[in-house]
Amino acid sequence: MADEPVHAAAVDRPGRHWPLRMLSAVVLVVLGGAVVASCVTTQNVIRHQERLILQERTGEAAAVLGSAFAGVQDSLQLLGRIAGTGHGDPKLFARAARSVLGPGQGLLVTTQRGASMRVTATAGTAPAIGQAIPDAQAQLGRRALSTAGMVSGLAQQGARRWLYLALGGGAGPGTVVWWEAPLSQAITIEASPGSPFGYLDIAVYLSARPDPSTLVAATTKHLPLGGLQYPFRVGHDTWLLVTASTFPLVGSLVKDTPWIILVMGGLAVALIVTVVEAQGRKRDYAAAQVREKTASLQTAVAELQTAQAQLVRQEKLAAVGQLASTVGHELRNPLAVITNALYLLEVAAGENDMMRRHLATAKRETSAATLIVSELLDYSAGREPMLTPVQVADLVSEALSVVPPPAGVQVTGHSDPELFVTADRDQLRQALLNLITNGYEAMPDGGTLTVSATSAGDAAQITVTDTGLGMSDETRQNIFTPFFTAKARGIGLGLAVTKRVVEAHGGTITVESTPSAGSSFTITVPAAALASVAQ
Amino acid sequence: MSPFAVLVVDDEPGMRDTLAAILEYHGYRVALAADGETAFTAVQSESFDVVVMDVKMPGRDGVSVLQEMGDPPPQVILMTAYALEDRLRAAVDAKAFAIVHKPFETGRLLSLVCDASQASR
Repeated sequence: MADEPVHAAAVDRPGRHWPLRMLSAVVLVVLGGAVVASCVTTQNVIRHQERLILQERTGEAAAVLGSAFAGVQDSLQLLGRIAGTGHGDPKLFARAARSVLGPGQGLLVTTQRGASMRVTATAGTAPAIGQAIPDAQAQLGRRALSTAGMVSGLAQQGARRWLYLALGGGAGPGTVVWWEAPLSQAITIEASPGSPFGYLDIAVYLSARPDPSTLVAATTKHLPLGGLQYPFRVGHDTWLLVTASTFPLVGSLVKDTPWIILVMGGLAVALIVTVVEAQGRKRDYAAAQVREKTASLQTAVAELQTAQAQLVRQEKLAAVGQLASTVGHELRNPLAVITNALYLLEVAAGENDMMRRHLATAKRETSAATLIVSELLDYSAGREPMLTPVQVADLVSEALSVVPPPAGVQVTGHSDPELFVTADRDQLRQALLNLITNGYEAMPDGGTLTVSATSAGDAAQITVTDTGLGMSDETRQNIFTPFFTAKARGIGLGLAVTKRVVEAHGGTITVESTPSAGSSFTITVPAAALASVAQ
Repeated sequence: MSPFAVLVVDDEPGMRDTLAAILEYHGYRVALAADGETAFTAVQSESFDVVVMDVKMPGRDGVSVLQEMGDPPPQVILMTAYALEDRLRAAVDAKAFAIVHKPFETGRLLSLVCDASQASR
């Protein structure tokens, strides 16, 4: 559990960092899509409605225009009858025509005479009686004669275009009754704001198609209009009404509704996504906090367990130490008595070789027992180091002089005479002695013990290397454990004491070993006081 | 010249007997005491050149006897199986001739007793 990474959250994964969470992104896409769809649908509905209204209005306009031209046809029929029954009295026709003529307009009656058509009655701006009408007009006249109902047409007369409405046979066979009006160059009709169709742009064509050459009138110069095309009948011909609205027919508010939906919906979506995102982040943060707290709790529990285990171990070791101390002290008295007794026996033995030999064995074993007792007491007497400046080279030679090398063992090495440490001299010497003694014992067949002391940065390093038996990995791993020993003799406290002393000085001890090649112990003690001593 | 008088004080009979035998073998006149009180009385009533005394004994201990010895005191060699507390160490260092830790080499004790004897006269 403790090995599990503290931050396993997606937010801490390396790689691309998305600005939104998945949930927020989905909400954004769904709601945003809904808003856009609503906007588009509303716009389509409004367009459809707009078109329906435009169609309705255009129909009405076409009906108005159609009825106006029907009125003209009726007037032409009436005037034709007046001209036909007046027996060539043009004054009667002129008087009747005056009531329906607008300014610049003309009314006339023509009669087919051979190839040409000549004026037989006239009113307004129309040509005089007896004149032949121009060919383009005559062509329309012939169409009127062959058609039932009013026909219409445009013709260029000099600088002006004229609109003609012609009713064939209106004043008798071979006659045509005409209404003519000039179309100004500027054909734009000003629609008054109050008129019923004031909000429409209108173009009227004298044909079924919006052909510019057949344009009769328009309310705008911006042609062609992109609006609705509405064909309607004028007499016999089909005219075209093209309309476009200049103002939303459904109302400006309704027209803007899709954009209002889009903006308001967009704002609502942004708000919702912000809330969702904030909630998501809050939740992630809370989850991360929980994970962090859980991890730190687990760490604390693990530390507590380690501390507890250490405490138990320390308590065990303390109990063992207490036992060692008591037993050690209690053994000292009997050992002293035995030593004395052996002395007396040696005196009594005189020259008896056999007795002297056995006594020597007893003395040797007593010494071994004494050494064990000393080890026990050294281990149990662990105390805080009493620090003084210690010259390391001096300490090394003192330790070497305490235990002379056994036969066959050479001692070598170099110690830097300038090297000082702040240490408890007695404790450090004991630590070193243990290493030296171990080195000797590891070389029963002789070898070389190398003791060197060098400066390593702000620490002193003392290395004790032997060319002896070496150790297995298992032995090396347990070598500093109290009461662990690989030797036939000894209770396994020497290196434990050494380690404790070194660590009490804030130092470390390491060991390297190769079976059958030897071992090397390195003590590193911080030479914190090195500078002050050197000064 | 009369032999040097040595008082051996130890609550352990084995230690008393073996030390007495060794010292007598080397020509010393030896008296024995099994506790501090007896040793103190003996020192008051009789003159000894050297006292070889254990520190830890039931009742009065060796350091206490050492501190209250009359004037001139005999040369005292203390024996101990324990480390001395710091406060006692100073007193012992001031008044005792030597202190030996059990178990000791017999030869070393003999050498100390010899030196102490020479110093007492």
